Amino acid sequence: MNQGPLAQTWTLTQELIRFRILASQRDWSSRTLYIVAAIASSILTLTIFGGTYFGVRALVAAKATGLLGSIASWAFLVYLFTDLFIAFGQALNDMYLSSDMPVLLVMPVRSGSLIVAKFILGVVQNEVYVAVFLLPFVLGYLLALAAPWWAYIVCVTGLALFPAVLYAALSTITIITLRIIPPQIAKEILWVIGAAVPTAFWLFNFARFAHIEGDINSLQLPTAPEWLPSSWMGHLLTSAGAGDSPAASGWLGFIALVTLVACPLGLAVVAQGFAEGWSRATAGKRIAAWSRGAPPSLSPIAAVIWKDVSGVMRSPQLWFNHIASLGFIGYLLVGHQVQSPLLPLTVQLAMLQIGFVAVLDSLNPGMTAISLEHASIWLLRTAPLTPRQIFVAKIVGAYAQTGAITTVAAILLGVGYHFSFGATAALVFFALLMSAAAICYGVEFDTRYPSFDWENPNAINRGVRMIMPFLNGLLMLALCGAFLGVTRLALRTVWGGSAAVLLGLFWCALVVGWIFVRTSQEAVRNLAALEA
Amino acid sequence: MLAPPLVVVDHLTKRFGDTTAVDGISFAVAPGEIFGFLGPNGAGKTTTIKILTGLLRPTSGRAMIGGFDITTHPVEAKRLFGYVPDEPAVYPKLTALEFLSFVGDMYGMNAARKMARIRELLGLFELQADAGALLESYSHGMRQKVALCAALLHEPKIYFLDEPTVGLDPKSARMLKDIVRAVTRAGGAVMMSTHIMEIAESLCDRVAIIDHGRIAAMGTVPELRELRGRETLEEVFLHLTGGLEEQRIAEIFREPART
Repeated sequence: MNQGPLAQTWTLTQELIRFRILASQRDWSSRTLYIVAAIASSILTLTIFGGTYFGVRALVAAKATGLLGSIASWAFLVYLFTDLFIAFGQALNDMYLSSDMPVLLVMPVRSGSLIVAKFILGVVQNEVYVAVFLLPFVLGYLLALAAPWWAYIVCVTGLALFPAVLYAALSTITIITLRIIPPQIAKEILWVIGAAVPTAFWLFNFARFAHIEGDINSLQLPTAPEWLPSSWMGHLLTSAGAGDSPAASGWLGFIALVTLVACPLGLAVVAQGFAEGWSRATAGKRIAAWSRGAPPSLSPIAAVIWKDVSGVMRSPQLWFNHIASLGFIGYLLVGHQVQSPLLPLTVQLAMLQIGFVAVLDSLNPGMTAISLEHASIWLLRTAPLTPRQIFVAKIVGAYAQTGAITTVAAILLGVGYHFSFGATAALVFFALLMSAAAICYGVEFDTRYPSFDWENPNAINRGVRMIMPFLNGLLMLALCGAFLGVTRLALRTVWGGSAAVLLGLFWCALVVGWIFVRTSQEAVRNLAALEA
Repeated sequence: MLAPPLVVVDHLTKRFGDTTAVDGISFAVAPGEIFGFLGPNGAGKTTTIKILTGLLRPTSGRAMIGGFDITTHPVEAKRLFGYVPDEPAVYPKLTALEFLSFVGDMYGMNAARKMARIRELLGLFELQADAGALLESYSHGMRQKVALCAALLHEPKIYFLDEPTVGLDPKSARMLKDIVRAVTRAGGAVMMSTHIMEIAESLCDRVAIIDHGRIAAMGTVPELRELRGRETLEEVFLHLTGGLEEQRIAEIFREPART
C-alpha cells in the first residue's frame, strides 16, 4: 500500500468493516434463524422505546423530578457495565487474538494505521449495540418530555461518541494487561473481571435502591459515580430533555473533548504494545499441578464428562452464566422487600424466579455442549462411541454444572426468603427440572446448528444464536408457570397450599419429561448425521 | 491363501452440493501394506480419509474397515483404526497426559496398560517433560506428536495418517517412518496421504494418485514410473496432475520491466 497514513487508515478501515459485514452475512446458514433473531431484536428495541416513553410520561405526570433527573445516568451505567464485558473480549479478539493479525502485521502497512482501523471496527460494532439498546431509550426519553429538536441532535451526537471513549479505555486496559500477563491467561482473567465487577456493583447499588423510602415525587436514585462517562451522558440527556441548551452543549463539548484525548492516548498505548512485538503464544508453559498424577481409568461416557468438566473448570470465561445467575439471586434477595408489596411472595412466584435463573444458567452449557469440541471434534467422531453415548455424556456434563449452580441458587433463595424446608425443597426440585429442560433444548439446538469455527468459546460472542434456545426455555417456563398458577388458584387451601405446589410440580415434571424425550431423540439423530 | 484386505473402498463417491469431491474411487489396502495417497490440494485425499474414519458420510459406495462397513457398523470399525488428522487439533485445556488418558478411555483400555503405553509413547516422542503442561501451550509440532501418540495408543491394526509428517522435526519424522514400517511388519495396514514425494517413494508399498476426485494412477512406485515412462515419482505426479511447465513459471516470475 503506497499511500499516506490517512489514506491507508481509511482503506484499511473500509476493508475491515466490509469483511466483517461479509463474515456476518455468511455466518448465517439458516434464514429462519436470521429472521427470528431480527424479529427478536426489533421487539427488544421497541420494548425499550415504549417502556422508556411510557415510564417517563408516568414520572412526568407524578411530578417525580428527582427520579427523572437521575434515571438517565443509571441507564447509561447499565450499558457501560455490559460494555465492560463485551469490550474486553472484543479488544482481545479484534486485536491481540485476531486470526488476521499475523497476515496484516507483515504487510507493508503502518502499525498505527492498522490499530486505528481495528479500533474503528470495534467502535462500529459497539455502535450497533448502542443503536439497539441506547438509541430507543434516548428517543423515548426525549419524546416523552417533548424536548426541542436540537436536543435530539445533541444527544445522538453524544451517543455516537460514547462507545468510542469506552472502547478506547477498555482496549487500553486490555492491551496493558496483556503486556504483563500472558494472553491466554489474561483473557480468562479479563472475562471474569468483566462479569464479576458489574455483578458486584449492581448488587451493592441495588441494595441502596431497595431501601429508599418516601413519596415518588421526592424520590431520587443514588448519585452515580461522576467520573464515569455514563454519568456525563446522563447529564447530557437530562439537560437536553429539560431544554437547557447551555448545559447540554457543555456536556457534549466535554464528551467530545474527552473522546479527542482518550482515543488518541489509548490508541498510542495499544500501537506501542504491538510495536514491542506480538505473539499469540503464551509467554510460559502453564503447568497444571493438579494433573501431574496418573488420571483414573473411566468408561467412555465418564471420560467425556470428566474432559468437559475439566475444560470448564480451567476456562473462567465459561463461568459467565454462572456468575450472572448467582448475581441474579443476590438481586432477588436484595430486592425482596421492594417486590413484596407489588406481587405477594408465594412459593409459586419464587419457583418462577428460580426457574428463570435455571434457564439463564443453562443457556451457555447447553448450547455449547457440542460446539465446545471446536476443531477437536474429530476425536469424538472417530472414537468408538455411539451418538447416544455422546449425547448422554454431553447432557450429563452440562447438567452437572447447571444442576449444581441452580441447586445452590434455590437453597439460597429459600433460605433468604425464610421458606420452610418443604418449600425450599420444592424450589430445588423445580430449579432442577427447569435446568434439565433448558439443557435439553440447548444441546438439541447445538447438535442441529453446531459451530466449530469460533475464536472465543463464550456464547455471548455468538450473538443472536442463543436467542432460539433461550426463547424455548422461556416458553417452557411460561407453560410451567401457568400450571403452577392454575393449581394454586384451585388448591390454595388444601394442606395449607402444599397440594397446589405438589400437583404443580407433577405437571411440570410431565412437561420436562416430554421435552427430554423429544429433544433427546432429535439430538441423537442430529449427532448420527453430523459431518465434521 | 492371501489374507483379506483390511481396508476396502468400493466405488466411493462424496458430493457437497454440486461439487463432487470424491468420484467413484475403489482400492484396497492389504495387511502389511503401506498405501500412499497422493494428489494436489483439493484433489479429494482428506475427504476420502474422512469418509474412511467416519467423519463424513459417503454419498454412495462403500468403505469397509476390517470387514465392517463404516456407515452401518461405525463403532466396530472405529475400534480397529488409529487416525491422525491433517490439523492436529487437541483439547487445549487438557495436559498431554490427561488427553492421552482420555483417548485410552475412549477405547476401553485398562488402567495399567493405558499408563504403561502412555509413558512409552511420551518417552518415544520426547514429550515426558511437558506431559503435565496444558496442550494450549504446545507448538504445532508438539501437538502433531501428541496426535500421533493418540493414534498409536490403543495399538490398532489399521492407521489413517493425513499428512502425518507436517510440523515434525527430522528426528520425529524419521521415527514415524520406522513406526509405520514396524506396524506393517506386524501385519497392520497404513494408509497415508502426503505431499512429500520422497516419503512416498521410500516408504510406500503402493501409491494412488488422486486428481479431481478420481484415481489417476495406482500401483507400486516402479510400476508407475515404468508405465508412464518417467524417472521419478514426482515427474509421474506432475505429468498426471498437470503441473506448471517451466516456461510458464518463467513467464510469471520474469524480471520486472525497467521503467
